[in-house]
Amino acid sequence: MSTVSRRPSDAFFVVSVVTLLSTASAAAQETSPPTQSPPPAADAGTPGAAEAPPAELSPEELEEIQKALGADTKSAQQNAPTGTSTAPQSSPQGNTLSVPGVTSSGTNFLDLSFILDVAGAAFSSKEPLQTGGHDPTKNGFNLQQLELSIGSVVDPYFRFDSNLVFSQFGVEIEEAYGTTLALPANLQVRAGQFLTKFGRLNPTHPHAWDFVDQPFAIGRVFGSEGNRGLGTEVSWLTPLPWYVELIGSATDATGEGTARSFLGASDERVLSPLDLQLTGVVKQFFPLSDNVSLMWGLSAATGPNASGYRNRTDVYGTDVYLRYRPITEASTTLITFQAEGFYRRRQVPGDVLTDFNAYAQAAWRFSQRWATAARYELGTPAKGEGGATVTDPLDPEWTKDRQRVSANVTFWPTEFSRLRLQGAMDRAGWRDSPDYSVFLALELVTGAHGAHAF
Amino acid sequence: MRHFRLLAALCAALSFFAAAPARADLNVVTTVPDLAALTKAVGGEHVQVQSLALSSQDPHFVDAKPNLALALNRADLLIAVGLDLEIGWLPTLQQGARNPKILVNNPGFLNASQFARILEIPQGKVDRSLGDVHPGGNPHYLYDPREALAVARGITDRLAQLDPKNAAAYKANLAKFTDELEKARAGWEQRLAGMKGAPVIAYHKTTAYLADWLGFDSIAFLEPKPGIPPNPSHVASVLAQARQQKARMVLIESYYPDTTAKLVASKIPAPLVIIHGGTDFRAGETYIQHIDELVGRLEKALAGKGN
Repeated sequence: MSTVSRRPSDAFFVVSVVTLLSTASAAAQETSPPTQSPPPAADAGTPGAAEAPPAELSPEELEEIQKALGADTKSAQQNAPTGTSTAPQSSPQGNTLSVPGVTSSGTNFLDLSFILDVAGAAFSSKEPLQTGGHDPTKNGFNLQQLELSIGSVVDPYFRFDSNLVFSQFGVEIEEAYGTTLALPANLQVRAGQFLTKFGRLNPTHPHAWDFVDQPFAIGRVFGSEGNRGLGTEVSWLTPLPWYVELIGSATDATGEGTARSFLGASDERVLSPLDLQLTGVVKQFFPLSDNVSLMWGLSAATGPNASGYRNRTDVYGTDVYLRYRPITEASTTLITFQAEGFYRRRQVPGDVLTDFNAYAQAAWRFSQRWATAARYELGTPAKGEGGATVTDPLDPEWTKDRQRVSANVTFWPTEFSRLRLQGAMDRAGWRDSPDYSVFLALELVTGAHGAHAF
Repeated sequence: MRHFRLLAALCAALSFFAAAPARADLNVVTTVPDLAALTKAVGGEHVQVQSLALSSQDPHFVDAKPNLALALNRADLLIAVGLDLEIGWLPTLQQGARNPKILVNNPGFLNASQFARILEIPQGKVDRSLGDVHPGGNPHYLYDPREALAVARGITDRLAQLDPKNAAAYKANLAKFTDELEKARAGWEQRLAGMKGAPVIAYHKTTAYLADWLGFDSIAFLEPKPGIPPNPSHVASVLAQARQQKARMVLIESYYPDTTAKLVASKIPAPLVIIHGGTDFRAGETYIQHIDELVGRLEKALAGKGN
């Protein structure tokens, strides 16, 4: 089949360009004007922050300072301290840690929190088609997850975040990564194991979801755990007047639960950068008014797949998030609309398979403690180059459209606990009749108060 | 060709925004509008000030919108209320802003609570069975003009430290602001002498500093515990207490739902006072005007008129 290209596909180029762009932009100009003030003497100073030299100093003086610093560094190397580094002393009264009663954290270096998700479930089908790793999957009681989040600032240059998930069968490092705090030129790098920023839902945890379970699109395209891997990510906040963020990451392309459309469970070795999953994302935010916000994302991921030599998989996605929350008047109303689509293209021996998966959901918080939400999902069968439906090597039974409709009601006693009752009708075209399911889920959050992402 | 033109336009726009000169020497972002008003009062034309939250918003629950991170990205100084008031949203924005200047413990971050006399620091074991408690103490200190003045002094010092060439101007502005505020405060205290010892019902535990300043007595709150919405049995007991102790007024911030408060006020009966949770900085209101307006409402309530 001459039409099956053996070259890296378009997505690869798109992603490379985004990645390169965001790295090359290190040379981008500073958006903020150089301050006219000399940094305060007590300032520990961040070598990463490109500060314009204050105008009062002559070049000779600057040179003298650099010489002196160099000499100090040399002599310091001979008696380098071992042990923990100390945080920079910012100013006589600026160090909040030294003021008793001002911060609740005191000198507690780790923010710890536990999140427990349990659910009672009833399915009409003997073999429910749940694709999420944290979904309730069997009749009766399910431990969806016990998540331990540990986060902390490491030093002036890094922050550490991790999510360890305990299940009844063991512990899993879901995420553990460092984030830079002081890179110049609006750059930020993450390194370690992390969920990729593909789309809106993938980088988030069940605690932030509006539904008990994960949309099947993510489970089908990326795997039950969502797309994540060991790797590194560069993101750049552009100097445009509205919020535009460019993100590029390279991650390990293996894992049945995390990269199933790529190398999945196979044991391929990495021989070149092309054996990694490359992801590129553009996120844009538009504050339409005080009360209405719109977030729009475009994502693309490319990586090798295990179906044959140099066969690749590309996934293209777009996500839209519209949020209405009146803040100009007293109101507890919150209405959100969220939709994501995933178009997947896989090279397999002798063919190219394409399919489309999507979900759209709306949630309405109608009082301080109550909300209701509805979601529609669609997944098409894989089609070959000729447009005919073919057997999907990953989901052989998926021969017709699958549609699922879910609706739920949520009650929050406080922001630290949540009860959710959810019902769903699942119409898998290859099954004779629709499947029904009901969940009653409880979530408890204890420990440090995490900050909410938008 | 069209693509080329678009690209050219984009490049032009980019270079324009990257090179846009700042109009002020310091770009300051505050979490709440009260702090923005205080900063403007002492910073004058040398500072450009923006508040992340609006005065109509509950500062506990602000959405971490990406455009707010954009404002922080361009800030030289971030001023926060502290005491965990912004814990649910500010850290996200600070990290997303990619601006090392404004990270906690750097000179570009100022926790204003260090200048205030903090009330209601919980004693004993603190956990969330107490509701949404602030382990460091009550963060609503900006209702007390005496604390606001202390904060303004702290802000002045930090502005002078970051921008020494305008230090004299900042100190002069502070002296002028101190004069105005102290004059106004004497007048306010005279007008509200009748508040001393007055029993008052409030919605949320925001009144500690107002009560400390004006000497009234917050006898009960409509929320059974901070952050827990009122329930019938609790509201009934609050109403009984209010009648028994002859509550003079019911205080509620404009960002809380007021149906229950209206009902309770009408049943006591006592006037309902809806107070603005902050200075309407965006509309150009000053801190002194904000407190003056608040005093006017309390004065009316003392005279038996609600609003």
